[in-house]
Amino acid sequence: MRSLLDFIVRHSYVFLFILLETLSLVLLFGFNDRQKEAFMTSANSMSGTLYSWRSGVGQYFSLRKENAVLVQENARLRSMLYELTDSQYVDMEKGMSSDGVVAARVIDNSVRKDDNYMTIDKGSRDGIAQGMGVYSPAGVVGVVMITGKRYSVVMPVLNGSTSISCKVKGSDSFGFLEWTGGDPYKALLRDMPYHSEVTIGDSIVTTGFSSVFPENIPVGTVAGVEHSRNGYTLRIEVDLSVDMSRLGWVYIHTKTRDEEIDGLYEQVLK
Amino acid sequence: MDGVSFTRRLFTLIGLVLLQVLFLNRIALFGYVTPLFYIWMIVRFDSSMSRSSILLWSFFLGLIIDVFSGTPGLNAASATLLAMFQPGIVKLFVSLDRHDVVVPCSAVMGSRPFAGYLLFVTVLHHTVYFILRSIPLGDWTVLVLKVVFSTLLTFVFMLVAESVSSGSGLKR
Repeated sequence: MRSLLDFIVRHSYVFLFILLETLSLVLLFGFNDRQKEAFMTSANSMSGTLYSWRSGVGQYFSLRKENAVLVQENARLRSMLYELTDSQYVDMEKGMSSDGVVAARVIDNSVRKDDNYMTIDKGSRDGIAQGMGVYSPAGVVGVVMITGKRYSVVMPVLNGSTSISCKVKGSDSFGFLEWTGGDPYKALLRDMPYHSEVTIGDSIVTTGFSSVFPENIPVGTVAGVEHSRNGYTLRIEVDLSVDMSRLGWVYIHTKTRDEEIDGLYEQVLK
Repeated sequence: MDGVSFTRRLFTLIGLVLLQVLFLNRIALFGYVTPLFYIWMIVRFDSSMSRSSILLWSFFLGLIIDVFSGTPGLNAASATLLAMFQPGIVKLFVSLDRHDVVVPCSAVMGSRPFAGYLLFVTVLHHTVYFILRSIPLGDWTVLVLKVVFSTLLTFVFMLVAESVSSGSGLKR
């Protein structure tokens, strides 16, 4: 008995090892995805704060580029505004209000993994909710996946699970934008009807069907067209208009679906 | 406490965590080559430390990295496993007649045995890390590539760290 106790005391570290290793493996495999989201993503406030501090420092180095992009966007918006004022009476107050759009800073980002994620510094208390569209001055970025109180995790276009409904600008046939991994500047537009007229260089924009994004937010340009294997649809290679590796600020489209439309869907789905 | 003070260990831990999550995690050459330099702390545990405290330090080091990387348990599991075998691996690379405290560094072990030790430790840790990360195991070639290239990168980082610490004489 005595020697057994001795043995246990002398080898207590073995038991400690088994305990710690079991604990780690339970953490690794025991949690389902929902539970992981709660505290083990960068939406938790501790890592959110750390990442926001880092990007606060890093952002100074890209100010010049950011400025250039903002100036360009300003110019585009101005020209749109002038077109509007030419044609009709515009309520300036209302036109300039930023209702339905929240600007956020990208504080953590990846583009080179199999499934990429992005963290932004706005959360539920700023009115961000799951499923909202995220875009930058250059075009579509992704969709909000999880919201914490002050931070949110965005599933960008560069993630295998993303699917965004898109169309060729000026036409009505639409398809779904997906990413197959690898090149962070290219994505694939699937399920486009085979009779749609698509030529290389055409602009791809959002449809606005799902109200995740407003209509006509740029996505990219057509780089290649081929028939899918079943022959009924087209597979379109898209050059993304957003450089995902250089995102500073993004906008979140917080105007979600009309309550009336929601009500109708509920009735249909009953 | 065992040779190096608790506070000093704590600062090393915080420093390595910050370096790993703020900078090194951002490195992803070709999509999968990431240096896991934080194991430097485990590499340097000397033979005066009790095995339990080596295990605890390593577990928490891994766990904190996990919290910031969004990978619950992954680094904790691989770091704890490495900590379990670290004292034994040190012995493999030191001549048997030594009875005093062995600090794993090139000055004590000699540079070639030390480099061998570094490589052994890194391969062990990275193999466990990438196997756990890729479960369910699919593509073996990709897995091997990840282990090999990440090991090389971590190894280079550790050689640099060793030359800096032995050169400046700040760390023993």
